Amino acid sequence: MNPIVNTDAATLSPIALFLQADWVVKGVMLGLLLASIWTWAIIIMFWLKVGRTRKATEKFERDFWKAEDIDAFYKSNGNADLPSARVLAAGVAEWRRSTQGQVIDREGTRDRLATTMGAAVAKEIDELSDRLNVLATVGSVAPFVGLFGTVWGIMRSFTSIASQQNTSLAVVAPGIAEALFATAIGLFAAIPAVIAYNRFSHGINRIEARLNRFADGFHATLSRQLDRER
Amino acid sequence: MDRAEKVGLGVAIAGHVLLFGLMSLGFLDTPNPVKLKQTPVEVSLVPEVALEAAAPASSEAPSERVSPQEGEPEDAAPPAAEPEPAPEPAPAPAPAPEPKPEPKPQPKPQPAPKPAPPKPAPKPEPAPKPKPAPKPKPVAKPAPKPKPKPPVREAAEKAPAKPTAKPAAKPAPAKQASASKSTSSKSTSSKSASTAKSSGKPAAKPAAKQGSGASEKATASRPRGGRLGDDFLKGLSAEPSKAKSSDAPPSAARVDGAALAAIQQAIARQIQPCADKQVDPGPGANQIVTTLNLRLNRDGTLSATPTVVRQRGVDDDNQRYARRVVDLGIAAFKGCSPLKLPAEYYATANGGWSNINYNWKLR
Repeated sequence: MNPIVNTDAATLSPIALFLQADWVVKGVMLGLLLASIWTWAIIIMFWLKVGRTRKATEKFERDFWKAEDIDAFYKSNGNADLPSARVLAAGVAEWRRSTQGQVIDREGTRDRLATTMGAAVAKEIDELSDRLNVLATVGSVAPFVGLFGTVWGIMRSFTSIASQQNTSLAVVAPGIAEALFATAIGLFAAIPAVIAYNRFSHGINRIEARLNRFADGFHATLSRQLDRER
Repeated sequence: MDRAEKVGLGVAIAGHVLLFGLMSLGFLDTPNPVKLKQTPVEVSLVPEVALEAAAPASSEAPSERVSPQEGEPEDAAPPAAEPEPAPEPAPAPAPAPEPKPEPKPQPKPQPAPKPAPPKPAPKPEPAPKPKPAPKPKPVAKPAPKPKPKPPVREAAEKAPAKPTAKPAAKPAPAKQASASKSTSSKSTSSKSASTAKSSGKPAAKPAAKQGSGASEKATASRPRGGRLGDDFLKGLSAEPSKAKSSDAPPSAARVDGAALAAIQQAIARQIQPCADKQVDPGPGANQIVTTLNLRLNRDGTLSATPTVVRQRGVDDDNQRYARRVVDLGIAAFKGCSPLKLPAEYYATANGGWSNINYNWKLR
């Protein structure tokens, strides 16, 4: 044992509990700790990204519908780092490609516009929800991993009882405490992960719906423009 | 990994390090963890529970009834008490043993020469019989509580019975001087009681009749306390009687658990030299615990050879040494007597080392 660190099991020191643990339990604890860190990193990242994206998207769409000239708006705002801007860019690009020739296939153009913008929306949503699966995984698996560590640690406590021929609390308690610490870390990682997963799934769904509405509206605009084209 | 992810990762790592660091430093610590270390406790085994608590005797025996039995002055005494009970039955069974109502009824049935008020009545009577009267009173005063009550109750409750009987005596004196001695016995009184309940007058008469019948016996059984005066409680004070207190044995001379343990240890210490000389007869012999009964003289010598009370720890292996262990123990006691033991515990009210059991065991 490390003499420098306080390894008194009567304290709730995670370091003491970690150092006293079996190597299996240590591995479980380390993994869960990393999972917890990663979970929180994703949560914070999402918090920042989704919040910023939603606000910027609202502003972008408001500006877009107010704009008189779509070409001019596209030139000034088209390359913004926003899902809506990329959907717009995809639509405009497809429009230009479809209307370059002399003969315009209106139905084909409409289909292509719809497909292109739908693909753009799907791509944005994929990128946004990239890390959500991590949250889902951590939320569902971490408790079991922690439980595994606990079961292992308690088994070890019992073997120590058997080896010392002594059932006093002082023999059993530290082992059980460190074993339970594994479950505690598992829950510590899983609970925020589950909450954040549900919360961000909801947020992503709203963004997707908004993007789809924007794409449909832009598609309708282009479709009217297509009718006017001669 | 874009900027948001970097920020998130940094914040998450910093937060975890902060949280676990704080917990390691005692944040959220269990405030006062129960100490699981076992502290040794000194235990002294006492082979036998103390025979009795060492506390001094807490209560004194009630003092003896003294007053009622005394004195022949039946005649004098009866007048005082009797007048009261007798009337009671007649007027009303309820009335307390107050002399007032009683005397009155009597006068009515029998126009005795003592129509005087309740208290006066008794007094006048003693007058004719000066000696008897004085005696009952002194007796009554010292009398313990238990006694005073019986007379009162008898007067009040049994009043019908005895009182009537006594009244009988009185009426007798009233009517006939010779009748004074004819007080009724218990049987007569009980009979008269039944009659007394019906009415006061009849009660008096039957009593008189029966009383006259057994005059001598009546006098013998008389001393029931009925002759106690109204003021028999006067001399009783709240202070408890010391009658028997001097008889109690001194409380210190009792053996309690601690003293018994000390005696056992003293014996063990004093026979140790001899016990050490005894040769262990074989393996397992030191598992045998033999309870020896010691009979000791006051000077610590053995008054008899120690006897075996019981043996424990004997199994198949050391069975053959059991007898030998007993002999060794007896030899040890014989070799190291006289024992020096506290003299005050030699013989006490609840035992002592004059006759004590000792658990002998080879080392």
